[in-house]
Amino acid sequence: MIPVSKTIDADVVIVGGGIGGAMAAIAASESGAKRVVVLEKCHVKRSGSGATGNDHFSCYIPEVHGDDVEPVLTALMNSLVGQAKDVELMRLHLLESFDIVKKWEEWGINMRPLGRWNFQGHALPGKPRAFLKFDGRKQKAVLAEQMKKHGVTVLNHHPVVELAKENGRVCGALAIDASTPDPSFVLVSAPCVILSTGLTHRLYVNGTTPNYLFNTAHCPNNAGGQALGWRIGASMVNMEIPYTHAGTKYLQRAGKATWIGVYRYPDGKPLGPFVTKPDPEYGDVTSDIWNSAFLDVMHNGRGPAYLDCSENTPETLAYMRKAMFDEGLSALIAYMDAKGIDPARHAVEFTRFEPILHGRGLDVDKNGQTTVPGLYAAGDMVGNAGCGLGLAAWMGWRAGHAAAADAANSTGSADLASNPAIKAKMELLSSFMSRNIGAEWQEANIALTQIMSDYANVGPYNVRSETLLKAGLGYLAQLREETNASMKASCSHTLMRAAEVLDLFDCAECIMRSALERKETRGNHKRSDYTFTNPLLADKMLDVTRKDDGSVVTSWRNMKH
Amino acid sequence: MPPVIDPSKCVGCGTCADICNSNIFVFDRSRDKMPQVKFPEECWHCDSCVLDCPKGAITLRIPLAFTLLHVDAGSLKPQEAKS
Repeated sequence: MIPVSKTIDADVVIVGGGIGGAMAAIAASESGAKRVVVLEKCHVKRSGSGATGNDHFSCYIPEVHGDDVEPVLTALMNSLVGQAKDVELMRLHLLESFDIVKKWEEWGINMRPLGRWNFQGHALPGKPRAFLKFDGRKQKAVLAEQMKKHGVTVLNHHPVVELAKENGRVCGALAIDASTPDPSFVLVSAPCVILSTGLTHRLYVNGTTPNYLFNTAHCPNNAGGQALGWRIGASMVNMEIPYTHAGTKYLQRAGKATWIGVYRYPDGKPLGPFVTKPDPEYGDVTSDIWNSAFLDVMHNGRGPAYLDCSENTPETLAYMRKAMFDEGLSALIAYMDAKGIDPARHAVEFTRFEPILHGRGLDVDKNGQTTVPGLYAAGDMVGNAGCGLGLAAWMGWRAGHAAAADAANSTGSADLASNPAIKAKMELLSSFMSRNIGAEWQEANIALTQIMSDYANVGPYNVRSETLLKAGLGYLAQLREETNASMKASCSHTLMRAAEVLDLFDCAECIMRSALERKETRGNHKRSDYTFTNPLLADKMLDVTRKDDGSVVTSWRNMKH
Repeated sequence: MPPVIDPSKCVGCGTCADICNSNIFVFDRSRDKMPQVKFPEECWHCDSCVLDCPKGAITLRIPLAFTLLHVDAGSLKPQEAKS
């Protein structure tokens, strides 16, 4: 058995020290929680998708936008982060977002690189712009420093692999101490847990490099939060609504709105109707609106599609280059420089990436409270309250304050090691470490991506159906059984990856069970057996919940306006 | 595969191993003078190690399969009809 090296009592435990988790930790401390513990898989200074930067923060600033938030809300709801979200929460986010922005500026993050509040990108011409252009290069270092100043205990290299529940309430977490090659378990008892593990990749065959799992547009190490919530019985929402990002090919990068150019066919004609010349104010929003644009042009033979920035002035190109650093694209810039790829002279091919869980996951209220008492969530793994940096920061802030108040009246587990879920996970992971011959985690992960891409894939060029999804669930059950019986790990790192694969299995099951229940076609959830979009479901959200006995229940609720 | 550490510049501070977004380094100070890139295929090229190395000793080598596809922008125009 892997030994237990530490047991910790906390008031609020935060799983993941990215943008949402860091804000939650600082807020919980400000609200009076004495023992705030962040369990971070990597290192809070560089973890998550915001590791090296971001340049757009969803935000409403009255002095810029005017007194009416509604036009900005409409713009945000029409953006990538607004798909199928509760309008009520998105509005509240906007109304409170400027306070967060001012806080970040006070802490030392450059929110006005041009000396003024500047909104650009991910926007339609003539419409309000909802994304504040900022310089996020220092964001993680600044938030890490703030956590330190607030007395937050940060345990880096401590991935969380299970949560515990007692009397219907969350009561603690099990982490692996992966700071040394030999793993040990760390038990953290707490009455409140805030999940903020980011988005989830590695569920489908990679969209640009099928032979590589980690060529991703965002952090690929985040599998966890949705699965932790799912296993403990929190309701999940929007898991069946596919999200796909797009960007450069073959090297996957996010940040397409940081580019200032025009998407063009090989004959030079623009793909979309929105811009014909590069425009720093709006970028080219075509692929936000026409999600399958880059796939369509390959399937109809008119492609490939390129992003052409060559008509910019040298000043605009210099501005774009600087913004790419702000966005965290320094690796891409270094690569392009080394290869002589110059946006002034070259057009870069763009493509759509594989489906990910981004803004799909836990169903929360305005405080990030999930349907399990004591369990909160913030950031990209929340299903109904937006995603992206601004929403993560805002929801983390609210969740931290709410959890601190909640913790004042509750207690964690008195005997976490005896909790059935914790005990079972410790035994399973220990069995992986005791096995000399068996399956590597990569085998199980790749097998999962094959199943998902064959039986639960997304439109417009793949379909889902009852027979496909049921077959997929059957194959997933077989894979899970065989993996549990045969996976091996040789060190704390491979054990962490093995635990991630178990989490990915749960995410996959939740996706397929949700997709089965949504008996219509909506967006890229394309059902061959229900080819229509049901207007009666237009204002509804699908909640899917795993009960303690392992059964799964589904229910529909009204979208909150 | 990325990242690549220049042994002539590395001072063995271990920063890269500590902050790596994917935990791909292993640094056994009792055995090694510099961190080892033990799980290179799990790098997603976030650039954290490059940015944080105090000696500028790290570069990323992007794999061939990740080549950035591009053309001369001037070629994006109607093709001449062949006679």
